[in-house]
Amino acid sequence: MAITEAATPSVLMTDEGPPVPSRAWLRRLRIAAPAVLIVLIFVACFVLPLVAPIAKPTGGDILNSLQPAFTPGHLLGTDDNGNDILARILYGGRTSLIVALTVNLLGLVIGGGLGALAAQAGGIVDGVIMRLFDVLIAIPSLALIVAVSLSLGPGLRNTILTLAFFSVPAFARISRAEALRLREQPFMVAAKLSGTSTGRILVRHLAPNIGPALMTFAMLGMGIVMVIEGALSFLGLGIRPPAPSWGNMIFQGQLSLSGTPMLVVWPSVMLFLTVVGFNQFGEALRARWSGP
Amino acid sequence: MSEAVLKVENLRVRFDRGGRRVQAVNGLTYQLRAGRTLAIIGESGSGKTVSSRALMGLLPATATVTGSARLDGVELVGMPEDEMRHHRGADIAMVFQDPTRSLNPTMRVGTQITEAIRAHSPVEPAAAKRRALELLSLVRIADPHRRFHEYPHQLSGGMRQRVMIAIALSSDPKVLIADEATTALDVTTQAQIMELLAELRSRLGTAIILISHDLGLAASYADDVIVMYAGRAVEYAPTRILFAQMRMPYTRALLDAIPRLERASHTRLPVTPGQPPDLIALPPGCTFEPRCARAQPECRDSRPPFVEHEIGHWWACWYPCKDGEPL
Amino acid sequence: MSRSSPVPRVVPAVLGSPALRLAGWRLLTAVPILLGVSILMFILLNLIPGSAAVQLLGPEATPQQIAQLEEEMGLNRPPVVRYVDWLSHAVRGDLGRSLVSRQPIADVLPARLAVTGELVGLAFVISLVVAIPLALLAARRPNRLLDRVSMVVSTAGLSVANYVLALLLVLLFAVKLSWFPAIGYVPLSESVSGNLHAMALPAFAMAFPLLCFYTRFLRSDLVDQMQGQDYVMTARAKGLGPWQVLLRHAFRNSSFGLITIVGLNISGLIGATVIIESIFSLPGIGQYLLQGILTRDYIVVQAIVLVFAIITVLANLMADVLYAVLDPRIRYGNH
Repeated sequence: MAITEAATPSVLMTDEGPPVPSRAWLRRLRIAAPAVLIVLIFVACFVLPLVAPIAKPTGGDILNSLQPAFTPGHLLGTDDNGNDILARILYGGRTSLIVALTVNLLGLVIGGGLGALAAQAGGIVDGVIMRLFDVLIAIPSLALIVAVSLSLGPGLRNTILTLAFFSVPAFARISRAEALRLREQPFMVAAKLSGTSTGRILVRHLAPNIGPALMTFAMLGMGIVMVIEGALSFLGLGIRPPAPSWGNMIFQGQLSLSGTPMLVVWPSVMLFLTVVGFNQFGEALRARWSGP
Repeated sequence: MSEAVLKVENLRVRFDRGGRRVQAVNGLTYQLRAGRTLAIIGESGSGKTVSSRALMGLLPATATVTGSARLDGVELVGMPEDEMRHHRGADIAMVFQDPTRSLNPTMRVGTQITEAIRAHSPVEPAAAKRRALELLSLVRIADPHRRFHEYPHQLSGGMRQRVMIAIALSSDPKVLIADEATTALDVTTQAQIMELLAELRSRLGTAIILISHDLGLAASYADDVIVMYAGRAVEYAPTRILFAQMRMPYTRALLDAIPRLERASHTRLPVTPGQPPDLIALPPGCTFEPRCARAQPECRDSRPPFVEHEIGHWWACWYPCKDGEPL
Repeated sequence: MSRSSPVPRVVPAVLGSPALRLAGWRLLTAVPILLGVSILMFILLNLIPGSAAVQLLGPEATPQQIAQLEEEMGLNRPPVVRYVDWLSHAVRGDLGRSLVSRQPIADVLPARLAVTGELVGLAFVISLVVAIPLALLAARRPNRLLDRVSMVVSTAGLSVANYVLALLLVLLFAVKLSWFPAIGYVPLSESVSGNLHAMALPAFAMAFPLLCFYTRFLRSDLVDQMQGQDYVMTARAKGLGPWQVLLRHAFRNSSFGLITIVGLNISGLIGATVIIESIFSLPGIGQYLLQGILTRDYIVVQAIVLVFAIITVLANLMADVLYAVLDPRIRYGNH
């Protein structure tokens, strides 16, 4: 394959340190590795309890509390209520993952849709929508979320709604910025001039082009939402015990931090691994979709 | 005849990157005398820019430079970086193509000049400022005091290039390399900058290397011309001789491709078909052969050597053009 | 020959500059945003089940007792009346009294703001003091060991939840090693070293994610410049050494972006104080807000959220204005 003469001098001029080995497999690994991690975590949380002999996460016997790891029937031991830690981690993971997925899906669809609509419609519609979101964004997110959570109450459904309050404006902003950027592109101008309806423009032209940016943001959003859900549960809002979530497990574990640190460590590690997985996956996707 | 201030002999530059090896400069030889201007003409990828950056030691770590380049007797090839830094900007300096991007937009013009001055001599800020103002006048910038405190975006393109020249001349270099220095400017400004360079050359005695793709520029402003193709020198002669007795078919093609007013309108521009070769896989024979109108079978098999066939006139061709012969 | 110095030139430039116009415009648009914030919060807080009266009286209270206390506290008036009443006081600087403690909020605020301010300030200082040298060293030799390690660690660091980090810090440094206290605050007036000792862990817990972010951002910006920008080549051609080029050209330009980001981060940091101050029992506005929320003290919540919003708006505005002032292309406009 011939190097075009224009490319040769400038490309070779960059100073990149030691030469890098063939990059194709590295790129594939960068996407595959976090993807595998995410899949493993999903499988562990959703499938494993169905097929392996894992105890129930709640209703433990208080006499059975604080058993150490490797006790028969309790691989990671039990917490101070007698509940199996491994089970709580897996079921807690289910909850946390479901919340994160739903919230990001809502954000992607509603926020993404509103943002694109605002950009496309322009004028008053745009102004109103964006002012509304500006107000939401002006409040530091944790304060807003705590307040909303209080007014809605705890529990799975309300936690999802609360977090959506925070996710939708964020997606809307990104979506609007991308849509505005694309609006100036020749193909968009052409579509508009040829009389294509707004709806059709949104679906056929805009969506496939802002899709990648939003997807990448959604991946990063997974990590963010999981951490914030954890924070909510940590503060005693969000998911209430005895139903497990990584956040409230960390909160409960805090009370006996010096005595049984593992109660905090296990859910923290799981949270960390999941967030890393999603963050890396998002980064790899972004690199793939914006790079050469 | 003054002694050569820069003697380049069999200069080679190769890049090793990602397992691929590219020979960007494949044996370049020339001499530059004080107060003279040498034009290095070629297409992109011919190696003209790479060879000059090699002289300055400005190539990335993936580049390997071999051969010899002596500046006033000092060997530049293989010189360690900290030593090279003393020469860079002081003995040999460079002016780049795009003055808009070559100046730091957030730094005042004056500071960018004094920085160059103080890189090579420990002078007081006040003395450096005086010298900078001198330089600004030297390059014919009006109201130097005002311009000293301004930012690059407040100057016009031509003025920015003059600032670049001022920076390059700040430590009185023996050799000034103008790498496509006027390509990004409009024709009028181009002429002004070239006139300025010529004037500075005669005033300061600096030797100048003009790198360009524009043969016309060489004709107007250079004393000697070297034509490069695919990393090699293919023709080298004093300007008058080159234009009077052009030998290389490639050089003829370059000349013929320049649009001229004398030709009738709507005449087809004689464009040479094809592309320059891939520098990774160079053919065994003459590199221009696939595009040459005069090519013979032996041109494909063996490479013609770059030899001084006539006095002061070097070329590499099996079937060079004769005087007055059309291409 | 006129000797023009840059100092007098800057002052008129700033006064007539786009920066000031920008600041003015943003302040103007801030007002409706702040109003919107207070209205939104008011609506949300009114939806919260169980009023402060319920909280104060406890679960044993009879409906009559609750009703009576609510009457006293003015909680049974219609929402719009309550909001307008609150607003008319707020614009005069009277943020009301806490429903729970009866203290005027405006009196409590300065001390608490000082605590949170110190926490946030320390966090920024720590993060920048570590991130800047680290990023410079990494950018000096890209793709070598230090660069790769620091990038991996920063990337991983961004995936750690701040409360998780805080707890792990407490576990290691307070519980196991006993180097720092796990909770508690010592005022500066009492003892500077005591104060710093108590603030060390919480400040670091807040600083860590910032540190990771700034290191990554700065390193990437520096490397982009060193490899891609023509003025870097010019600087090298002048004979400048690699550190001189890195510091005087690349870092100089990166610092503008960094300052802007620091300004924009302030609001996120304020939110984080809610959790961190709770974990470490620091008497700042974050903890005050959380207490207010948990005790349904809606006046406190309303006031603190407003304070948060004001800080956010001001910080964002300052970041934008600073950028406009620092970038000479904006400051001096086009020729």
